[in-house]
Order: sequence, then C-alpha cells, then structure tokens
Amino acid sequence: MGTGTVTPGVVPAVQVEAVGKSFDRAPVLEDVSFDVQAGQVLGILGPNGAGKTTLIRILTTMYRPSSGHFAVAGVDGKRPREIRRFIGVLPESAGYPRIQTGGEYLTYHARLFGLSREQAKDAARKTLEIVHLGDRAGSLIATYSRGMLQRLGIARVLISEPRVVFLDEPTLGLDPAGRRHVLDTIRRISAEDGRTILLSTHVLADAEEICSRILVLNRGRVAAQGTVAEVSRRFGADRHASLSLPPEQAEAGTALLVSLTGVKRVSAAADEPGALTVVFDGQTDPDRAIRLVVGSLLDAGIAVRSFELDRARLSDAFLAITQDDAR
Amino acid sequence: MTAIAAPARSPAGWSVVAGRELRDLWAGGRALTLSTVYSLFLSIVVYLLASSTNLNFLEQRESVTLTAQLAIAVGALLAMILAADAISGERERSTLEATLLSPVSRRALVLGKLVAAFSIWVAAWVIVIPYIWFLGRGVDIVWEAIACTFVVGTLLAAGLMAFAMLVSIAVDSNRASLSVSLLVLLALLAPTQLPSSAQSGWAGESLYRLNPVTAGEHYVGKLLTNGHDWTQDLDWLVSPAIAAVALLVLTAVMASSLTLTGWRER
Repeated sequence: MGTGTVTPGVVPAVQVEAVGKSFDRAPVLEDVSFDVQAGQVLGILGPNGAGKTTLIRILTTMYRPSSGHFAVAGVDGKRPREIRRFIGVLPESAGYPRIQTGGEYLTYHARLFGLSREQAKDAARKTLEIVHLGDRAGSLIATYSRGMLQRLGIARVLISEPRVVFLDEPTLGLDPAGRRHVLDTIRRISAEDGRTILLSTHVLADAEEICSRILVLNRGRVAAQGTVAEVSRRFGADRHASLSLPPEQAEAGTALLVSLTGVKRVSAAADEPGALTVVFDGQTDPDRAIRLVVGSLLDAGIAVRSFELDRARLSDAFLAITQDDAR
Repeated sequence: MTAIAAPARSPAGWSVVAGRELRDLWAGGRALTLSTVYSLFLSIVVYLLASSTNLNFLEQRESVTLTAQLAIAVGALLAMILAADAISGERERSTLEATLLSPVSRRALVLGKLVAAFSIWVAAWVIVIPYIWFLGRGVDIVWEAIACTFVVGTLLAAGLMAFAMLVSIAVDSNRASLSVSLLVLLALLAPTQLPSSAQSGWAGESLYRLNPVTAGEHYVGKLLTNGHDWTQDLDWLVSPAIAAVALLVLTAVMASSLTLTGWRER
C-alpha cells in the first residue's frame, strides 16, 4: 500500500491506496497513494484547489472516498467512529463558540472522548498550559486573538492524546510570532510525544522547517513525494554555487567549469574580480557538486578561496511541479 | 505530555452534548430571550382576554382554552426554531466539524441537541401555568388545562422539533432550515383560521384529524371548552402521537447519516 518508505514489520500510521473523490461527478482527487510512518511529519502541499482539504477530510472520516482504501492508526477507513478515537484534527477555518471560555470548550471536547468531568477539567488545564493559554482558561473565547484561537484549536486536537494529528493550514493568517509559536508546538508534539502529523500548508517555509516528508498534490493527483531535499532536487530548478578564485586564474577556472558535466553555465561578478557563480542543473547531488567543482579546480592547480552551495529551494520545485502540470 | 487515563465510567455522549447545549442555550441568553418574548406575548393575550371589552365576551373556559392553545402553538414553535438551528447553524458557524470529529455517535449528538431544544417547550409550559391559573379560577379546569397543555404540547413540540431537526440535518444553510420549518408550521396552522364550515363533512374533518396541529388543538378545545372527559376524544390525539413517534424515529435513522455539508457533499 502506498509508496512511502516502509519499515519492515511496522504498520504505517496512515496508509492510503488509490483514493479518489468526486463531487457531482467532478473528480477532486484521483488515485492518491502514500504511507506515513509513525512519528513522521508529512507536509501536504499544493496550490488552491489541489485537493488538500478534501484529502484530509477523507482521512479524518468527514468525507467518504469515491474509490480506493485507507487506514489511519491501523484502523480501516470503513470504521470511521473507531478512527476518530485515535485522531486529532484542526480543520481549516475552524469556528469556536464565542460564549464559552477556553477551559469550558476543552472540557467539553475531552468529555466527548469519554473522560469524566474531573478528568476532563484536569486534561483541559494541562493542555491549555502546553499551548501557553493556561492564564486565559477562564476568558471567553470571544476575547481571544486569532493566534490564541489557533492555539486553542491545537489544544483541542491534543486533548484526546491522538496517535495521528491532522492540521489543515495551522499558520494561516497568523503574525510571525503566532506562526513561530504554532510551529514550535507542532515540532514539540512530534519530537517529544512521537505523534504522527499530517500538515496541510501553503507556506513552503513551514514545510521545509518541520516536515520529514512532503506530498505535493496538483489537480487532485500526487505530483511528487519524498523528503524536502529529495523533492527539491528531483523537481528543483537550477542550483547555484558562489565561488571565489584568484582574479588572475578566474578565466582559466571559468573555462574548466563550463566543461564539467552538470554545470549549465558560469558567470563572473562584474564588481568583484575572481567571484564566480556556477549554475548546476537541479538533479545534481550536493556532494557531487562540491567534489566536481572544488576537486577539478584543485587538480588543475587553481586555488579555491571560498565555495558556497545554495540549498535546493522547495519553492522552485513547487513551482516547477505545479506549473508543469498546468501546462 | 502524559497519556490521559481511561475513565472508570464514560459519560453517555448524548448527555454530554445535551449538558453543553443546555448551558449554551440558557446561560448564553438565547433561550432566555425567547422565553421572555413568549412571556410578554402571553401577558398581553391574557390581559386582553381578562379586560378587553371586545374579547371578554368569551366564557372563562374559552379564555383558558385559547391561552392553552396559544401556549402550545408558540411553545412548539420555539422548540422548532431551536431544533432548526441545531445542526445547520453549527455548519454556518463552522463549529460542527470539531464535534463530528469526536467518537460520539451522530445519533447521540442529535439526541443531545433535541433534548436541549425540548427544554424550551418545558419552560414554555411552566411559564403558562400561572396564566392558566389566573384565567381558570372558579371554573375548576385549572389542573385539567395544565395537564392537557403538557400532553398535547409535548406531542406537538416533539413532532415539530424532530421535523425541524431533519431539515437541519439535510440542508447546509441555517436560513433555509428555519424557512422550511416555519413554512411547514404555518401550513399546519392555516386550517385553524378557516371557517368552521370548512372543517365539517367527511373530507374536512379527515384533514382536520390528519393534521397533527389542528387535531391536537381540537382535542384541547373539546376537553376544556366542552368539558369532555379525558378519554372521550382521544382519537384526536392519534395523529399528533403518530407524527411525533414517526418523526422522532425518522430523525434517529437519518441522524446516522449526518454529514459536514448536509444532504450532499460539496
């Protein structure tokens, strides 16, 4: 099932096989397959209308798939109520009852998961502390800022101690401090608690920062999946390296570099003698790029004063994937 | 984070939902506002019945009957409004998804919301008791009026509430849910405004009996105005009872297919 990295003998936390979904006969998702291992953070990326929210709603049992199979936390998708015992979900644009306090809201949701009144109150208090809302437990939700609402939503997700967490655009509309807070919380619940997290986001920097793997959806299909580095490399645009040579050897160095396989072009900086920019194609492995450039120059007796390889950029890969499909 | 220990005894899902809904309805002020408006309405009606020169030609028994019938109609209407808002309103406020994501069954969720909506009918019945007592003093029908208001009102409130809940489950717009529910209630109440000649004859009486609202109100009239025995006109309660049971059963069946977006996924 799926195409993710599989550890022998371990049941993936999420298994998706050929899942499709149509609304009024219009396909929204087609043949989506992937696995997520326990403890991984999977980023689900894609442009608007790619099917990210629909995929999350299928996996969280809000929608039934039109085709295919899935399992979450080892529970078959045909047993939705059982799945809901093991998941925590922060939907996109979740609403909150403004007339309740944060503490009341969490206590209620804890009780929906079967806790007694006292246990629920205790769990609500502890969970609000985790998201740094402990001092606002008694305040009406109507008085919360957007960032606080999002943290309250994450607290609700965590109140049932879920095995698999689904977060749909958790940093949408947050200021930098709010975004940082949410990302730190996600990182903590993944690293410290070992929960599996599926995170849908438009913010590629968020995915680069916290996701162990990513899945790129485009027009309802899986356009790419793998680690951020793998996808960036496989689909990325050209990669750049900045290089500094002795000015008198710059011309010979340029001639040598343009002859190397994988180097697309070399350009010299007009205002800094000896400074070169080397452009590799997106498929070039970073270790090979370093060996290729530095090794070849040193072998030819050309001194290398500095060498810096840019990281492969997910944004370039994302644009390459989604624009190629759009053409 | 530490794992939460499983409770020794899990609370029933419907009672958790009902408790929360009751607090939101009453402590949040919505049910209190509706009850206050209802009380004002009853006060005006009773004042007119007791003092107006145009209306006080009514016999005391008829005044009690009219008050009981109005209390039943308006109390059931209030319960219907709350039920119509219960699901579609949460859809509009985007609060439904978080509840649906819990392991509580859809049926328990709907039952909890029905219990909360029903509370306003109970309040409406309690509120009308002093008005009935005031108007019915001296004609010895006070307890009869209070009891029959409760029985008939409960049947009609349950049926109308269940119908409104069905609509609320099916549509994703709160406005549509309220409009359809109110339209149906008005259609059921319309025959009470027809001349009595329209209610005579086989066809007229059959329609009157089949319509749970008119049948229930007719039973109240026979019992309180005409002084009939409790059991004498029980056949008029068949339609309200069947409607209440059938609609509640249908709601329980349809509740299991409650979805995030109404009768069709979008």
